[in-house]
Amino acid sequence: MKHKAVKIGLTSLVLAMTFGGLLYTTMAEGTEYYKHVDEVMTQPGEWYGKKLQLHGFVVPDSIMKRKNSLDYQFKVQSNGHIVSATYTGVVPDTFKSDSEVVLKGVLTPEGFTTQPNGVMAKCPSKYEAKPGGATAPSGRY
Amino acid sequence: MASLGAFLLLLTFVTAAYAVAASVAGARRRNTRLIESGIGAFYTVAALMTVASGVIIYAFVAGDYSIRYVQRYSDSVQPIFYKITSYWGGLDGSVMFWVFLLSLFGSVAVKVNRVSHRELIPYVVAVIGAVEMFFLFLMIIHNNPFSTYLTESPTDGRGLNPLLQNFYMAIHPPTMYLGFVGLTIPFAFGMAALITGHLDDSWLRAVRRWTMFSWFFLSLGLTLGMIWAYEELGWGGYWGWDPVENAGMLPWFTATAFLHSVMVQERRGMLRVWNVSLVIITFLLTIVGTFLTRSGVVQSIHAFGEDPQLARYFAAFMIFTIVFSFGWVIYRLPLLKARHELDSWMSKEAAFLANNWVLLFAAMFVLFATLFPTITEAINGERLTVGPPFFNRWMVPIGLILLVLTGTGPLLAWRKSTIMNLKDQFMWPTLTGLVVGGTVAALGVRVWGSGLCFALSGYVLATLTQEVIRGANVRRGMTGTDLLTAMIGLVSRNKRRYGGYIVHVGIVLIFIGFAGEGFSRDQQLLLKPGEEATVGDYTLHLDAIRVTDDGQKQMVTGHITVKDKNGAVLEQMKPAKWYFRKHEEEPTSEVAIRRTFAEDLYVVMPAFEIEEQTASVEVHINPLVNWVWFGFGILAIGTGIALLPETAMSFAVARLPSDVVTASVLLLCLLLPTGVAFAQHVETGQDPRLEKITTPEAREIAHKLACWCGGCSKLPVGQCSCGHCAVERAKIDVMLKEGKNESQILKFYVDTFGGNQILSEPPNSGSGRVVWMMPIVVGLGGFMTAAYLAMRWSSRRTSLAGMPAGIEDPEMASRLNDELRNLD
Repeated sequence: MKHKAVKIGLTSLVLAMTFGGLLYTTMAEGTEYYKHVDEVMTQPGEWYGKKLQLHGFVVPDSIMKRKNSLDYQFKVQSNGHIVSATYTGVVPDTFKSDSEVVLKGVLTPEGFTTQPNGVMAKCPSKYEAKPGGATAPSGRY
Repeated sequence: MASLGAFLLLLTFVTAAYAVAASVAGARRRNTRLIESGIGAFYTVAALMTVASGVIIYAFVAGDYSIRYVQRYSDSVQPIFYKITSYWGGLDGSVMFWVFLLSLFGSVAVKVNRVSHRELIPYVVAVIGAVEMFFLFLMIIHNNPFSTYLTESPTDGRGLNPLLQNFYMAIHPPTMYLGFVGLTIPFAFGMAALITGHLDDSWLRAVRRWTMFSWFFLSLGLTLGMIWAYEELGWGGYWGWDPVENAGMLPWFTATAFLHSVMVQERRGMLRVWNVSLVIITFLLTIVGTFLTRSGVVQSIHAFGEDPQLARYFAAFMIFTIVFSFGWVIYRLPLLKARHELDSWMSKEAAFLANNWVLLFAAMFVLFATLFPTITEAINGERLTVGPPFFNRWMVPIGLILLVLTGTGPLLAWRKSTIMNLKDQFMWPTLTGLVVGGTVAALGVRVWGSGLCFALSGYVLATLTQEVIRGANVRRGMTGTDLLTAMIGLVSRNKRRYGGYIVHVGIVLIFIGFAGEGFSRDQQLLLKPGEEATVGDYTLHLDAIRVTDDGQKQMVTGHITVKDKNGAVLEQMKPAKWYFRKHEEEPTSEVAIRRTFAEDLYVVMPAFEIEEQTASVEVHINPLVNWVWFGFGILAIGTGIALLPETAMSFAVARLPSDVVTASVLLLCLLLPTGVAFAQHVETGQDPRLEKITTPEAREIAHKLACWCGGCSKLPVGQCSCGHCAVERAKIDVMLKEGKNESQILKFYVDTFGGNQILSEPPNSGSGRVVWMMPIVVGLGGFMTAAYLAMRWSSRRTSLAGMPAGIEDPEMASRLNDELRNLD
């Protein structure tokens, strides 16, 4: 009985340590800070070089595309704070003025550098915020 | 309409409350009349919800825009199909659809089981009724689909987003709901068994098929969502570990575990705590999924509403459910003791136990990673997110472990496998796995991930093949038929087991598809007409960028000729960008896909410059992706077989004549149709007069005439967008205005063209009726002939074994069963 308990205890310990170790190492590599533009832009220096997922709304009429390329430059804002962003690649169909976006990438003194496939615009969801819920951007469907 | 709908919801809530109260009171007092009354009220809930659903659908079809929900999700020009599917297009309607389905499922489950599980039924009614009450409460208090505008209502609706006006998206939500809602039934029976203390295996028998049915629809829903994402969103993938995708996946893991675990309880009286816990956890995960997607607790790129009030209601319901259900589990632990101990880790029940742990871990891991931003925010105020790489890092090994178990489980014996047994069972599958692994490694495929997945897939397919062939050989020895016919007989005699094996084959094929993702390539090109670029073995030549309009939308289409490495033309591909009239700011990218079993060539045109005549083209090469969809097809067949009653069709296959199946399969292969991709762009040409169809009558007539211009595959005039048909539609309009009716106009065309070939369908009159009757006659005749032959085969005296006519020799049947059991 005692022998069995020791075996079970040891096995559990090894499994827990393995799992904890794996979780720690993968977490260290795989996590990104999820921040709103205003949270980051109040003290941008703190966030330079860190992997971020930046949430905000595309500033109306700020989207510019270089001719004959997939280079985009645009601005994203939340609560009055604005950050310039650059991106090269395909943007989702729902990416437009005022649309709610999450950008993946790194903040630098020049602005936000979006990684490849790092522009996520909100899906054409069937579910909407109720009035009185969280603030929804204008032009949401 | 709105008042009637709102009243119906209130009435349903009261009726459900009565059903719960009467059932519980009746069960406690052993009052049959009270129980019957509760069941009657329970059926009434289904009837009332059916009427309420009819009311909301009518409001959509009739365009009653005084109802806010109708105004938000439809408009006057939306096709009727999408008007109906708008019922579940938004939160309020989806909750109502949930209750509607649950009331129907619950009624069927109660009707089917009210005699065989008399003692459980009152509590089944009470549990399902309580869940219905929760959702009805949500609707009445918070998300009433019948709420109206307080001010003057708009004259037209906002319309459904163009991206959602898609075949797959219309049927994806209801299939997910069928899965989610169906899983309430096993939960209700499990709770009833706990409350009554009737914890033998009978409740499992009542819910096994329900679970399988729900599991199938959950699988179908997930697959449809994947297909939609793949064909409609244009990013080249089908799964991104988004919280909303994960929400649908969570109960799938635990329902899968339950379907396997239940066998151990039936066979060995073990894992009882596991089974009741799994049905509870599965139900909770369906609620968690709903909660995640609607509360705003988790940030998702799906724009699901942030609704703290709704989050609180769901949280309260979940906490109550956890405390109540697990409270009963703890209280009943003495009755849930296993009848047997685990004899050996080298046994089938140990494999099932491992399977339970791995699947439960998978569900909990996905839940943890999905909620990770919320958890970190609660702990230290920082919202940290984890992306697909983190999920993949964990889920790839979990998937591979599950693949190993898929192959190993069937080979192990119950209780204990001997060394001889292991050697005998595992030699060929292991060799097959090693050969496949060695081959893919020699071909340069990286071992971790894809290479290992291919090797394990080979191993699993070998184990399943070995199992079926061994069983079929035993049967062949008994019946003297050929191997294929023996296999069919074998499957029909043990549908659950062999249906399960077919499901496993489907899962393996899906895994092969997943492994292919490791070799996907993508490239972004910038092309002008006349230019070409090479991606992989393909050369893409941009012929032109054309702008057309079909009245509903403007389409910018890239015409691309695809050539192979030898320069031979493979296909014309037409990726496009569509601009719907009502949603010009929300263009949709229409992908073009060239499908083969080896790989998909997936082309998107995300941007273009009309003045410059330049197209940005994104090309993805996705190896083996169609194996995912094909694997699901196999999975569906297997589930269908496993769902059949064990006695179904046994009479027909009891004594199949030799070689009949082989011959039938060959015939079937000749008749197999090819599939169609519903979500892909089909360019319709310039159609300046489509808006000329002004009346339903004109549309009706236009659909009854075929295009005869010679270049449009004889499409109906109402659908065809060539110039010829535009003229014909205008003519129809003119004739209607002149006062001609439908039959006169059709007669005019028949006379003008000198025969019925101008009609898109044969006339339902005179000799034309023969054509209409033909499929019915042939179908019925074929069915009756097959039934007659099956009856004859099953009752024919065979010279093989000198069996008595009519029934199979019981001695032979028992011998066969013994030998099949020995194969376990």
